[in-house]
Amino acid sequence: MAMHKLWSSVYKELTLLYRDFTGLLVLFVMPVVLVIVVTLVQENVLKSMGETRTQVLLIDNDGQTVGHGIEESLRKSGFVAIIKELNGNKIDIVMAKKAVAKGEFQFCIMIPEGITEAFRKKAKQSVKNSITIGDIKGRAQIEKSPDIPDLLVYFDPALRETFWRGMIGSLEKVILGIEASEKMKIFSELLPIGIETATKKAMGPMWSEEFKSAIPRIHLEWDNKPLMAVKEKVSQYGNLTKTPNTVQQNVPAWTLFGMFFVVVPLCGSLIRERQNGMLARLLTMPISYLTIISGKIIAYVIICMVQFVLIMIVGKVLFPLLGTSVLDAGSSPAALILIALSAALAASGYGILLGTIARTYEQASMFGAVSVVIAAALGGIMVPVFVMPKIMQDISIFSPLSWGLNAFLNVFVRGGDVKSILPEVGLMLSFFLSTTFIAWFYMSQRGRIHIQ
Amino acid sequence: MSTVESTNGKILVAKNLVEVYRGTSQPALDGLSISINAGEIFGLLGPNGAGKTTAISIMNTLLKPTSGSVTICGIDVVRYPSRVKGLIGFVPQGIALYSNLTARENLRFFGRMYGLSGKELEKRISEGIELVGLKESADQRVFTFSGGMKRRANLAAGILHKPRLLFLDEPTVGIDPQSRNLILERLAAMRDRTTMVYTTHYMEEAELLCSYVVIIDAGRIIAEGSPGELINGIPGCSNLEALFITLTGKQLRD
Repeated sequence: MAMHKLWSSVYKELTLLYRDFTGLLVLFVMPVVLVIVVTLVQENVLKSMGETRTQVLLIDNDGQTVGHGIEESLRKSGFVAIIKELNGNKIDIVMAKKAVAKGEFQFCIMIPEGITEAFRKKAKQSVKNSITIGDIKGRAQIEKSPDIPDLLVYFDPALRETFWRGMIGSLEKVILGIEASEKMKIFSELLPIGIETATKKAMGPMWSEEFKSAIPRIHLEWDNKPLMAVKEKVSQYGNLTKTPNTVQQNVPAWTLFGMFFVVVPLCGSLIRERQNGMLARLLTMPISYLTIISGKIIAYVIICMVQFVLIMIVGKVLFPLLGTSVLDAGSSPAALILIALSAALAASGYGILLGTIARTYEQASMFGAVSVVIAAALGGIMVPVFVMPKIMQDISIFSPLSWGLNAFLNVFVRGGDVKSILPEVGLMLSFFLSTTFIAWFYMSQRGRIHIQ
Repeated sequence: MSTVESTNGKILVAKNLVEVYRGTSQPALDGLSISINAGEIFGLLGPNGAGKTTAISIMNTLLKPTSGSVTICGIDVVRYPSRVKGLIGFVPQGIALYSNLTARENLRFFGRMYGLSGKELEKRISEGIELVGLKESADQRVFTFSGGMKRRANLAAGILHKPRLLFLDEPTVGIDPQSRNLILERLAAMRDRTTMVYTTHYMEEAELLCSYVVIIDAGRIIAEGSPGELINGIPGCSNLEALFITLTGKQLRD
């Protein structure tokens, strides 16, 4: 009989949800849209098509080796699109600064006039200072290096710090390469002359022009490829061989976020029942409070699982059609179902607690929504936990979304199995039991209501 | 399980009920004692804040009293609330129905909560719908109903399982005379099989319907008896409303 009542309660909840169009939008369409939008925004999907490269304005007032070197290296990187003219006109610095400040372009690189000449002089001076052959003093004869005009990079103030720091880093790498190349060139010129001068002096009358051919010459015709390669390898539990991509990292994160948003309709349904006397009516019936809330929990867990399946289908079927990578769901479907189920229970337990404690729907919906966003931020849904300050990292371990995300990532990108996610699943289930128990206890204490 | 027969025809007996809410010093109920005979329509009257809803909440198992006892059909309500729940029905003051379900779906849900199922459930639903005059609109969602239709559906949900004792908390508030008349008629017709505890602010309703009336104020009984006895007992009072004002005063209650 208790089961009959429970399933009637579940059926009633699902019927009410089915007939609530706005509620359905919130529960199904919004999370799917959220996952699609966030993934498409973060996925560098158009990069391969050359359409989303960062737009960089380049003003080359130098027009020589350094300017050409910077331009060529940036072009070769494939990450930026170099723009040297606007509306058919050569870009000047005033025009460029204005366009970047307005956010029309992300960067402007201004290569100053005479940089190559100053660069060469300084490189030559630097090499000369480092050579000591015989009594040709190197460091002892250090001359004052000439000043090199600054290479200026203007960036859009709305640009994230990581982004412009990345650009500065790339430019420094390019300049370092040009500098090394220039220094080697000068070194290859100066070293044989130095050796010849020193040998001539040491041999005196015994010097013959025949010796000249024996002096080592440096040829700079070596392979330009780096001697040592940096190889990317994914550290994982299982046999996952694919490199994790944005889809695999975003889908679980935002799926979890969407699942936790059931707290809003769930606590709303509890508060409405309390306010219109429905709960009082139910509590005078031969049905336990546990059955009443279990009916709600089961209904909302079903909703969460449908959400999860929908988003998985979107990841598998829709994302490739939109040009992103296909979702690789890892190697353990059982683990994924277990995580989704635990997360759904944790979210439902939280909704029950909020719906029991909050006095009004406005209170519950605002607090519920904001607290889920905070838990998501703390849990690494928006920004990875490892980049957070230490104190936030310490707090993040208390976020149920952090447990869920960690478990999902274990399966999605680390190749984990059921065993690997048991600690997080245990935490989520404990959270569910705790929140439900607190709700039950609070209810039993409020006005000493009979709720057995 | 005890029966009414074994309790000398008393279906409800409340003794010295006291309820003091947390954070208050004034008791909401201050030693309320009542007994209700089977087949009676028992009017529980009083101004706002007199303790009517608190008394009903204790009697219908929602609230535990600070002290005192209540038995329904001989069963201790405080100790065995789950045994009592099958015997009682409750029609709350608010429209306690799911507005996105039809009247029939609401009754089906509540019927199942009372343990009804199958053909018996469907039979009770049809009877209930007919009783409150909602046959034509039984398959419409409740949010499309007028205030009177909602009140009638609210009543149907409380009597579906044919309770021994029915608590009605202002069941006719805010509806038109036609719907009120239908509800009062139907309740009067049910008195043979269902005992009722009825609260209302409409004194003419209580005078017409109730066989016994208790007027409470500040959690205490200030008058009790049949409406006729009470009216005749106070000189100059021609009806229950006049008596009520005489006993409770003209001062506004919030």
